Amino acid sequence: MAVEHVERKWGMAVDADKCTGCQACVVSCQAENNIPLNESDHFLQRRAIQWIRIERYWEGEFPEVKARFVPMLCQHCENAPCEPVCPVFATYHNNEGLNVQVYNRCIGTRFCANNDPWNVRFFNFWEPVWPETLRNQLNSDVTVRSRGIMEKCSFCVQRIRRTIREVTREGREVVDGDVTPACVQSCPTNALVFGDLNDSDSEVDKLRKGGRQYRILDHLGTEPSVYYLSKVDPHAVTEEAHA
Amino acid sequence: MGVTRRQLLKFSGIGMLGAVIFAGCRIPDREFIAESPVLIPEDLVEGQDAYFATLARPSTGVESVLVRVMQGRAKKVEGNPDYPMSRGKHTAQAEASLQELYHPDRIATPLRRVGNRGSGQFESISWEDAIDELQSKLNEYSGNPGSVAMITEPLRGALGTVVNRFASNYGATQLAFEAVDQTVVRAAFKEMFNQDRLPIADVQNSHYVLSFGADFLSSWHAPLHYNWQYGEFRDTDSSKRGTLVQIEPRFSMTAANADTWVYINPGTEGVLALAIADVIVKEGLGDAAAMITLGDVIATHAQPLATAADVTGVSEAKILEMAHDFAGHQPGVAIGGGLAAAQTNGLFNMTAVYLLNALVDNVGKKGGILFNPDAPVKDLVSSAAASPLVDFQRLADRMRTNIPNGVNAVLVHGADPVYALPGGLQFGRAMMEHVQFIASFSNFMDETTAMADLVLPDQVPMEGWGDDVSDPGPGYESIALQQPVVMPFVDVRSFGDVLLATVEGLGGGMTRGLPWNTMKDAIRANAQELYKLNRGSIQQYPSFEEFWVGILQRGGWWDTKAKSKASTKAKIDKIPGNAVPSFSGSVAEYPYHLLPFMSHAMGDGRGAHLPWLQATPDPITTAVWSTWIELNPNTAKGLDVREGDILKVTSPKGSIEAQVYVNPAAPPKVVSIPMGQGHTEMGRYAKDIGSNVMSILDAVSDADTGALAWGATRVKLTLTGRRSRVPKFEGMVVPRLLDPVGEAGAGTPGGPLYKISNGKDHE
Repeated sequence: MAVEHVERKWGMAVDADKCTGCQACVVSCQAENNIPLNESDHFLQRRAIQWIRIERYWEGEFPEVKARFVPMLCQHCENAPCEPVCPVFATYHNNEGLNVQVYNRCIGTRFCANNDPWNVRFFNFWEPVWPETLRNQLNSDVTVRSRGIMEKCSFCVQRIRRTIREVTREGREVVDGDVTPACVQSCPTNALVFGDLNDSDSEVDKLRKGGRQYRILDHLGTEPSVYYLSKVDPHAVTEEAHA
Repeated sequence: MGVTRRQLLKFSGIGMLGAVIFAGCRIPDREFIAESPVLIPEDLVEGQDAYFATLARPSTGVESVLVRVMQGRAKKVEGNPDYPMSRGKHTAQAEASLQELYHPDRIATPLRRVGNRGSGQFESISWEDAIDELQSKLNEYSGNPGSVAMITEPLRGALGTVVNRFASNYGATQLAFEAVDQTVVRAAFKEMFNQDRLPIADVQNSHYVLSFGADFLSSWHAPLHYNWQYGEFRDTDSSKRGTLVQIEPRFSMTAANADTWVYINPGTEGVLALAIADVIVKEGLGDAAAMITLGDVIATHAQPLATAADVTGVSEAKILEMAHDFAGHQPGVAIGGGLAAAQTNGLFNMTAVYLLNALVDNVGKKGGILFNPDAPVKDLVSSAAASPLVDFQRLADRMRTNIPNGVNAVLVHGADPVYALPGGLQFGRAMMEHVQFIASFSNFMDETTAMADLVLPDQVPMEGWGDDVSDPGPGYESIALQQPVVMPFVDVRSFGDVLLATVEGLGGGMTRGLPWNTMKDAIRANAQELYKLNRGSIQQYPSFEEFWVGILQRGGWWDTKAKSKASTKAKIDKIPGNAVPSFSGSVAEYPYHLLPFMSHAMGDGRGAHLPWLQATPDPITTAVWSTWIELNPNTAKGLDVREGDILKVTSPKGSIEAQVYVNPAAPPKVVSIPMGQGHTEMGRYAKDIGSNVMSILDAVSDADTGALAWGATRVKLTLTGRRSRVPKFEGMVVPRLLDPVGEAGAGTPGGPLYKISNGKDHE
């Protein structure tokens, strides 16, 4: 099949100054992407699945104490270290900058998870189970992953595809704001912004050039597509103190 | 020269090999792209979906949402982009309402008790039989109508009208229950500004927010709207970025997001607010007219700065700094609630806090406190306050009394008082042993419903008609609409519809003021009134039917120009109540101050049956599926406990068990326990998980309003010798390329995990 040349490169900006740690994105993602129910045991075994999660870091102790929230999801790297190690090409980079997981190719070697510095790839240790009634909620646009395969944030590829189909039907091009992954849509403070990094008019492109931007583990040279905007703390001594 | 057969084959072979090698030198680029040769399901599936605007009603507040429906099934909740309180956003709690709709433990039919009360033995009956039985019981008690108590959640909108008129026509005793209510904040606004409705703080336009105990980003009223406002407040342009100061004895989610968190001794928030006000007046930093009007009241009640610092635990320098910053960064706003209001001197605290706004004259102004006007339709209830604890105390006392003053029947909807009232009240026991007939309209088998004789299960919001006058609203008239987006999943009927169906058989003027057959009729009748106004978000429609479709599509009606006309000047000659709080339990016997807090995900416990919410990490501790007690590291060291040790937490009214979580932000001498767990009912995801902190609270209340002072109980801690791991997100991810979070909270050299900017370094 010929590969369509697409100019888009999807990316996200995460404004840590706006993130309140409210977890709306986490639950929204679980609803959209048919993520298995995380039961108590899954947390105790450190096998809970959250495609997007809020990491909380402590600084100091009472009374001089701070908690910092960092939303963490697949960084959709340009040079993704998880991609070349897959023996069956179950994970690959598509022509829109997405790091894609093909569930029906995955054979569960977990090499990708081993090579993923952000810990954003999840292995299905169990067959996902929902009570019969709760299955009514499952999103029919998204595959339910079976036991033995990897899964991860897809930037809600099904929403991207749906939007492209819709705008094509309307006879127009995709414009900034047309595509919103579930986490971005729900985020009450607008801390998450999604868009085309190649579109210089897009909000995400402006934010990633705004001055506060950085990329997590940038020194690894993987070229993540997720840009973070630093938390603003008027009492912070210097930025370097945390680097 | 002849070519032999052998030579021909040799040249051909070389030629073919060469062709292959030549071709191999130019492999098409795309062969290196490991592109899927087939489209994956995410590329292929395309069903017909539809989005409908309706309401989600989690315990954290009503939200206007769009529900994505495919083939008659609700798939996804998204915030309504049109409605002013939602702005296209929604909370985790609203999302989880999908699980409420399809919950495996929903009550699927009307039930009649067959075993002993509380035994959990019920039989399914038809709706006709259920309504007949309800009617016959109400007829039986009609000679003593006051002996019938109706307990509901605070009800607004058309359902509020239906229930209020039903109760008043019958003559029933009516109570509104909310485990964590806003009674004290409402009373403060009534006292100062004669306002019945909750105001909204215009955080988005503020430069400085001084919050006393109001965990407005997590569990205080309207957290969704306040989160949206907070996003605007933290403007990307740092020169416009607002400053948030959170004053609270617990490190809440709002405290974690504040620029400065100030620890204060519990219950002394009013003293601090008055000290700040006193500085503003003495240094002439406030509004000139307001300082003249309010100067005497402040001077009468304010304590000397040194005394205030001593009482509150906040240094004199900090008090002066906050006073200068608050007055100097206008528009700024002071808000109060949560733990500051949940004290025996709650009204004193709230009055003192909100007085600060009057002092800088920011009431009714951009960036300050905005009043909310009543809905412009007479049959819509705009404001519904919860009944104070003392009303439930009286009801429990009446239950234990013989008729005629006793209680024959309890009708309960949207409230679980048996679970959520403080254990010191013994409400459940009184109801269990003394009330003849209990009817529940709950759609889940909660603790109160488990005691019921008759269960008439209500619809969830996605299945039925409803509306809501947003309280608090956005500062102007706004009404949200709820329409059914899917067919009822089980055999349930709307509470309002059942009441309207019941009145016909009761006679005796029961239909007075209730001309509607169904809730939909009532809501359409109210919409007719809105249509006649011909203003607001939906106007100039040629017919009512088109208007009706318009408001259903947009999820409601609002008018940005219809603001409150009430006076914004505070009228107050004294601050009610005591400056100093009192607590249940002596310091000697109960050395720790218990600070219960609403679970971020499950609220007061009404969301505990939803697995998504159980599995949502607490923002601060990241704990899930459990009840934990937050201890200061030194306190833990003193008790010789570590994370996971199970402590017995004993108050003067009872004890529970909780797992230790050592929280570096926990102040010494206070311990925090989340509400929401410890259900003995509520289905498979809630039952027998954790402990119910409300069960050990003493029934102490604010002296002036009678509201539950849920922050006024002291406890002692004893070791049980048992331990189990705390289920939590923290530690689940072991960063291999990063240092474990430690000294600087940073990652490997050159690879920060997160960065902090002082807001100036990039300008």
